[in-house]
Amino acid sequence: MSALWSACIRKLEGELPAQQFNTWIRPLQAVESELELKLLAPNRFVLDWVKQHFFDKIEEAVSIQKPQPHPQVVLEIGSKAQAPGAGDRPASPRKPAGKAKLPNNLNPAHIFSNFVEGKSNQLAKAASMQVAQSVGRAYNPLFIYGGVGLGKTHLMHAIGNEILRTNPSANIVYLHSERFVSDMVKALQHNAIAAFKEFYRNVDALLIDDIQFFAGKEQSQEEFFHTFNTLLENKHQVVLTCDRYPKEIKGLQERLKSRFGWGLPVAIEPPDLETRVAILMSKAQANNVELSPEVAFFIGKRIRSNIRELEGALRRVMANAHFTGRPITLDFAKEALRDLIALQDRMVSVENIQKTVAEYFKIKLADLLSNKRTRSLARPRQIAMALSKELTNHSLPEIGQMFGGRDHTTVLHATRKVQELKESDAKFQEDYSNLLRTLSS
Amino acid sequence: MRQQPLPLGFDPLQGFEEFHSGPNAELVSHLRELAAGGTEPFIHLWGAAGQGKSHLLNACCRDAHRRGLSCAYLPLATLRDYGPEVLEGLGALDLLCLDDLEQIGGDPAWEQSLFSLFNELRDKDRRLLTASSQPPAHLPVNLPDLKTRLGWGLTLHLAPLTDSDRLLALHLHARAMGLDLPEAAGRYLMAHHPRDLGSLRQLLGELDRATLAAQRKLTVPFIKTYLEHLA
Repeated sequence: MSALWSACIRKLEGELPAQQFNTWIRPLQAVESELELKLLAPNRFVLDWVKQHFFDKIEEAVSIQKPQPHPQVVLEIGSKAQAPGAGDRPASPRKPAGKAKLPNNLNPAHIFSNFVEGKSNQLAKAASMQVAQSVGRAYNPLFIYGGVGLGKTHLMHAIGNEILRTNPSANIVYLHSERFVSDMVKALQHNAIAAFKEFYRNVDALLIDDIQFFAGKEQSQEEFFHTFNTLLENKHQVVLTCDRYPKEIKGLQERLKSRFGWGLPVAIEPPDLETRVAILMSKAQANNVELSPEVAFFIGKRIRSNIRELEGALRRVMANAHFTGRPITLDFAKEALRDLIALQDRMVSVENIQKTVAEYFKIKLADLLSNKRTRSLARPRQIAMALSKELTNHSLPEIGQMFGGRDHTTVLHATRKVQELKESDAKFQEDYSNLLRTLSS
Repeated sequence: MRQQPLPLGFDPLQGFEEFHSGPNAELVSHLRELAAGGTEPFIHLWGAAGQGKSHLLNACCRDAHRRGLSCAYLPLATLRDYGPEVLEGLGALDLLCLDDLEQIGGDPAWEQSLFSLFNELRDKDRRLLTASSQPPAHLPVNLPDLKTRLGWGLTLHLAPLTDSDRLLALHLHARAMGLDLPEAAGRYLMAHHPRDLGSLRQLLGELDRATLAAQRKLTVPFIKTYLEHLA
């Protein structure tokens, strides 16, 4: 830190309430020269606030510490090389010296042995294990896709941790796609784009999460395209996760979509009941909490949509048990999750959606659920399926089942079709909104 | 220039000691643990307006601050217009408390920034306390990645207080303000004014200033005249 700013900081700390000092003054970074003391604020909001409320005090502190001619105080948005929040990786990535170890951001708790396997994810797990065992040679890139909260990130970390276990000197970098974007922006701001390129092109395995957030970010896509090619040419491993199949990512360059499909795209589906129960038992065990299968089945049956929500419900039960010191019985779990269950019960049922849609379009409920495929029935059926997905926690196979035993891919097709029509057909959009409003009120 | 309230700071008058927990003792205990850097990294607090969510978020900040942790309280209803840049750099804090989460629901830029911040806090093992009128699954958030993350941690419902609990809470608040609220005056307020704690606290603040200006004690006749004057 600049000596002048250090002295000013000491003075200001004594003058301002601790809370104000810690919130506004401490985050400022100083760059000192003969003529000016430049203070860098992390964002426009902090800059405006400091300028409005503390600028006079800062100038006064500077003039006391360094009498005439004292440097001019300048406030700007920015950060020094180590940006606030940049954490363990430099904002301007540097080329590692030789085979120096890079910070990998891996969560050591996510390993293959505690990833609960079921029908919905076994292929993804098997592919991930194979990738971890033969880095850059098995499937490259490995593209894991599926809805939110289904374990994609867990598998990605597990791959990284497994590679490290067998080769502790491997350079692995895990990051979210938006972090890649923000690192690139910072590198551009600091004139360090060459170092940025070097950094990402020299890793043994690059693991990027949620790459759907690259959509619409042209320059980042361009840079990632080159990084991706370099890594693949050098047989370095790339693992990507996404909420959908490569071809379905809107706002992504065609050549990237095509390359993402080169290796192995593998899906993770929402877990079935048995897997949900196994996940709950495993999480409880990891927390040294005894959970009976009866309670696990109760929670697993109530929470169907994703694993995060499942974990959230288990946390609620465990926290309640910890507070009251009571054992987790079925009645206890019901009581602990009372609010959550009451809310779910207030949610719309698929049966109610089917009835409302049939009435709205003046068709028979039996026809809505039948095998007939005329457009006058198919459209309302698709709408009812899309509404069921939007308004209930049922899995796609369950919804399909409730629509005359249809396959989950039919439900998926219906929801996509509805989305498409909502964007292109105003009348359709109006019908959908009317139904949504009726069912949600 | 009139001093504006400090949007990123917290109200040092709103602590756990000034909160009447009533049926929410367990919830308060979890929040106290969070403020002490406890093991639950994310807590979402939900309940109707005027029940004390903001008070509890401020209390967490005050407690964390006393322990030497860096923290910030962000009322998103007030800060929404500043844009999501407000969140930049906050991933470095030990504890971040975000109030009125529903206010930014549906705004793609805010949702995306909050999603990034959540990931950053998680990567750094920092603590996040969020509050809204609805539980995470019912928030008007479009980004599913964010919505499910908000429901990942411990979700706690702030149960409404009974009237006798409200009265106790009001007395506790009056005491924290250094205001003598006679039993009868408290009951009168409860009977003649909307009974949500937010409104009652606001009215108590106004009455405090009015009694000071008139150099009178807070009595039922004083309140009656004041309310008649307002009407």
